[in-house]
Amino acid sequence: MSGVFDAVVIGAGHNGLAAAATLARAGMRVLVVERAKTVGGMAKTVDWGAGAKGPEIAHLLYNLSPAVTRDLKLSLDTRSLPTIALSPDGAHAVMDGASLIFAAGGMHPQAADYAALHERLCRFAAFLGQLSDKPPPSLAGGLASLRDIGGMARLGLGLKRMGKADMREFLRVILSNAHDLILDELPDGPIAGALAADAVRGVWAGPRGPGSVFTLLYRMGQGGGAALPIGGIGAVTDALARAATTAGAELRFGAGVASVEVEADTVRGVTLEDGTKIAATAVLSSLAPLPSLHLAGAAHFDVETTRRARKVRAKGTVAKLNIVLKSAPDIPGLTDAQTAGRLIVAPSAAYVESAFNPVKYGAVSKHPVIEAVIPSLTDPSLCDGDRQVLSAVVQYVPHTPEGGWTDAGRAALTRRIIDTLAAYMPGLPELIEGKTLLTPADIEHLTGAPGGHWHHAEMSIDQLLTVRPMNGMARYAFGVSGLYLCGASAHPGGDVTGSPGPNAARRLLQERSA
Amino acid sequence: MTQNDTYDAIIVGAGHNGLTTGCYLAKAGLRTLIVEKNDWIGGAAVSRSLHDGWTYSNCSYVCSLLRREIVRDLDLPRFGLQVIPYEGGATFTGDGDYFAYMSDHDALRREIARHSPRDVDAYDRFAQTVMRQCRFIRPFLLRNAPDPTSLHPRDLGELAFLVKQAHGLGARELGETIRFWTMSIGDFLDEHFESDLIKAHLAGSGIIGTGLGVYSPGTAYVLLHHYMGDVDGSIGAWGFARGGMGAISNALGQAFAEAGGEIRTGAGIDRFRVRDGKIVGIALENGDTYDAPIVASNMDVKRTFLRHVDRACIPDDFHKAVTRFKIRGSSAKINIALDRMPAFPAAPPNAPFLRGDLHCSTSLAELERGYDDWKDGRWSAEPYFDMLIPSQIDPTMAPAGQHMMTVFVQYAPYDLEVDGVRSGANWTDGARDALADCVYEKMQQAIPDIRDRIVHSEVRTPLDIEREVGLTEGNIFQGELTFDQLLFNRPVPGYADYSTPIDGLYMVGSSSHPGGGVMAAPGANAAREILRRAGRGRKMPRLAS
Ligand SMILES: Cc1cc2nc3c(=O)[nH]c(=O)nc-3n(C[C@H](O)[C@H](O)[C@H](O)COP(=O)(O)OP(=O)(O)OC[C@H]3O[C@@H](n4cnc5c(N)ncnc54)[C@H](O)[C@@H]3O)c2cc1C
Ligand SMILES: Cc1cc2nc3c(=O)[nH]c(=O)nc-3n(C[C@H](O)[C@H](O)[C@H](O)COP(=O)(O)OP(=O)(O)OC[C@H]3O[C@@H](n4cnc5c(N)ncnc54)[C@H](O)[C@@H]3O)c2cc1C
Repeated sequence: MSGVFDAVVIGAGHNGLAAAATLARAGMRVLVVERAKTVGGMAKTVDWGAGAKGPEIAHLLYNLSPAVTRDLKLSLDTRSLPTIALSPDGAHAVMDGASLIFAAGGMHPQAADYAALHERLCRFAAFLGQLSDKPPPSLAGGLASLRDIGGMARLGLGLKRMGKADMREFLRVILSNAHDLILDELPDGPIAGALAADAVRGVWAGPRGPGSVFTLLYRMGQGGGAALPIGGIGAVTDALARAATTAGAELRFGAGVASVEVEADTVRGVTLEDGTKIAATAVLSSLAPLPSLHLAGAAHFDVETTRRARKVRAKGTVAKLNIVLKSAPDIPGLTDAQTAGRLIVAPSAAYVESAFNPVKYGAVSKHPVIEAVIPSLTDPSLCDGDRQVLSAVVQYVPHTPEGGWTDAGRAALTRRIIDTLAAYMPGLPELIEGKTLLTPADIEHLTGAPGGHWHHAEMSIDQLLTVRPMNGMARYAFGVSGLYLCGASAHPGGDVTGSPGPNAARRLLQERSA
Repeated sequence: MTQNDTYDAIIVGAGHNGLTTGCYLAKAGLRTLIVEKNDWIGGAAVSRSLHDGWTYSNCSYVCSLLRREIVRDLDLPRFGLQVIPYEGGATFTGDGDYFAYMSDHDALRREIARHSPRDVDAYDRFAQTVMRQCRFIRPFLLRNAPDPTSLHPRDLGELAFLVKQAHGLGARELGETIRFWTMSIGDFLDEHFESDLIKAHLAGSGIIGTGLGVYSPGTAYVLLHHYMGDVDGSIGAWGFARGGMGAISNALGQAFAEAGGEIRTGAGIDRFRVRDGKIVGIALENGDTYDAPIVASNMDVKRTFLRHVDRACIPDDFHKAVTRFKIRGSSAKINIALDRMPAFPAAPPNAPFLRGDLHCSTSLAELERGYDDWKDGRWSAEPYFDMLIPSQIDPTMAPAGQHMMTVFVQYAPYDLEVDGVRSGANWTDGARDALADCVYEKMQQAIPDIRDRIVHSEVRTPLDIEREVGLTEGNIFQGELTFDQLLFNRPVPGYADYSTPIDGLYMVGSSSHPGGGVMAAPGANAAREILRRAGRGRKMPRLAS
């Protein structure tokens, strides 16, 4: 390969791919270099052994940006799943949009309050969601930039759907905690628990922590549902890869970047781990700030920036357990269709908060919060015969417990997860044919995300919007001329949203056309 | 025989904020009455003698937040108010060492270096950031909180002031300010320091009085709330009011009397009297009624509206907002009469830092675990406490040679859990003693013979504080200092300007902006608003910048 690329994108996770597709569609000559053998990053469908495939890490779509699907012309086959709030007493509930019923049928006493809360949250989330597909407001103009937000409020959705009373309520709750917000409307129990779990999934926080309303609204940006991509989550990254290559971008695998070349404070290209040099006038990194800074060399950044990059918090709290089952588990109280839903083990908001306690001190939750899905029930193409795959996102698990991960520690965690699920799926242990546990440390090893963190950088208010991932680096341009952040650590943040990548790409395009 | 009379204004509650409002209204020529349920004035700023020869600052115990402008304006020193600064402090470890905080910069650097050489410069950076944030926030304390949803010129004016203040910061500073205001004190300290002990020593101010842990976002702001005051212009300094915190309330009471105001103690309100959406007066528990077109409540917003206002008089959404207002008790207080100055074996003899605030919590994890206990309805197994012996500096507090010690304890829940049931009623005498015992146990880290030194003690649970001062759930700030209850959200969005849905009824206590602490700012701001609406705005001195 010779010649100079207009842009090299580091990492073929969904954000790197979406960035590449956006740039290639604008006519740029783009190369994506990926250390792994395939695309996907945290969003991959992989072989689980025993004739089964399933999502390796991420498993569901919560808030994929419709703008991205539209702009990149992605055609995705997805099924929306109801949320099943599992209840220890067997009175499970089905939450589907604003509707709430008992799984066994029948009016749920909290239905009206839940519907009102859901509707209010969706309205706020849609307002916040408007900020996702653009760069965060800049601070360059001082506080005037905060008027940007106010301006958006009035001009955009704001004026049409958000009256003064709503605006007041939004400003009251936006920095507050999900626990109080939820329990102001609902009694504590599985419904409150499911909402609380959604609020903190992937972050280092409990529902009582201020800021958890923000993360709840972030997740609800597209209506608060969850969709299962047919073919597994990898189908989404595959579609993005096709969008990128169709537009002319090149992808190279087994091509880990060893360094970003910088001369005279300007990016010149990258050097791969095998020594290959690739020249480019821009580099977009889907890695977090600190690894990105290390690739370019700390010498090119001022001391303050280095210090800030080092202080970006990313303490992963989520493990993944992938289980191959001989056949579908029976969940007493659920129909087959409900068993295929998004299953939440979070019997109360208090349970979720208690689960958070141990991880603060480097220990695993005694009673973990779980979001499980059996994708093969909806998408039989994933497995041979009667087999099923169960994908469980498990919280809270520290990156590394006191004394490090041992086989015994891993086995104990695996057992704890299975026992927690088995309380609702009585025959589960006997059905297990194979299982893979990924701790946050494993996830860091697989993807390079600091701490194995879901969002690459903590989604706390002091690392969001104008200060995401760090103060002074919020609008994708990253210190050195021609270097950009395009992954989950950049605004608006993680999840399979597809937003940070194209936002970063547009920033580059704007600078080039200016 | 019941009494009745007519006034220009009535204030319910003689806490320091109610007294402050009273002073300004009386000085503006309004015939003003203050009614107070207790037989004494001061609310949570009070000195009482419960054991012969000793004076306790029963609730609040140190002074810094009290706005200088108000002290000057009301001429409080003339009424006996004298604030004596104290310096230094220490955290004692379990293994016979301590970290001492000293105001002498070089000494402090040496002390930090003794524990963690790399933290020496970090401290200067930390102190600079906190100081910069203090300077940023102080001008807002004596102003109304701007309402960002309002297009009213006055709100726009306040917003413009905010923009102007913030503009001076520049982009980087503004970013740091946003971060500081939203982050946890634990994360903030982790960004700066390595030594657990030093972090623990500095973290306490971020959690005092709150239902938050050191790792809860927003606690860096709470720290600021404790650093933004001053003593004699020295920002961040704290002092003792000579004669206890009651000296502040007593000075305010005298200033009020001199301006012609009347105080009636032992006069608890039964209800606010409202007619056609307008306040007309109050009715006391003893049957007395008083009329006034202006009535101000110094009680917290929950007590005011959920107990003393007829439900039919307030709109549903306001009622709901008040119901969900968070006012969680998390603190206890122990006041102790000591037979002599206790020995601190770890400290050098007569160490000056013993005259400051003393602690025994040695890591952020320990503090956070204390919060976890509280969340579950227990007091912290290893409580954090802020203890001082003011009689070393102010001899009026105890007989000669003997001493008075004040111990603020974090965390203790209001709704204590016993056998799966959480309720204030679980605070039995036994539970109270057990709490005190737990505190003394931990205190032995600093003072091994503490139990032998105690001549008398007063242990106050959140329930006791609620019962006596009327602070709902014993919350020391009349409402949590979280984002959803600060600035334009305090106490209720749309009513941050001290007004209420009832025409002529105002909120003047710590439930209102800028919040709790012995600051007098809510009281003064509310007075300004009341006088402005009464067309007497010119009678209010300009306090704010
Ligand atoms: C356990 C878990 C479950 C999750 N579940 C969900 C879910 O169900 N739904 C959801 O929306 N989100 C989920 N998330 C979050 C979501 O997966 C991520 O936020 C998102 O996929 C991040 O995408 P990205 O493209 O920014 O980064 P990544 O997907 O992390 O991609 C980064 C890429 O960079 C590559 N790379 C790293 N270093 C180098 C190098 N030096 N040179 C070249 N390439 C390199 C990596 O191999 C990787 O492919 C989950 C996260 C975790 C941890
Ligand atoms: C234990 C403790 C320690 C503290 N330590 C400090 C400290 O060291 N420094 C500091 O700055 N702050 C401290 N604070 C906080 C500070 O004391 C309070 O925030 C502040 O004093 C509140 O003042 P206020 O005037 O707003 O209300 P309050 O002091 O609560 O006054 C309300 C008044 O209303 C009266 N009242 C109640 N019900 C009725 C009724 N029905 N009829 C008539 N009157 C009624 C009450 O008796 C009381 O006098 C502490 C608080 C507590 C509880």
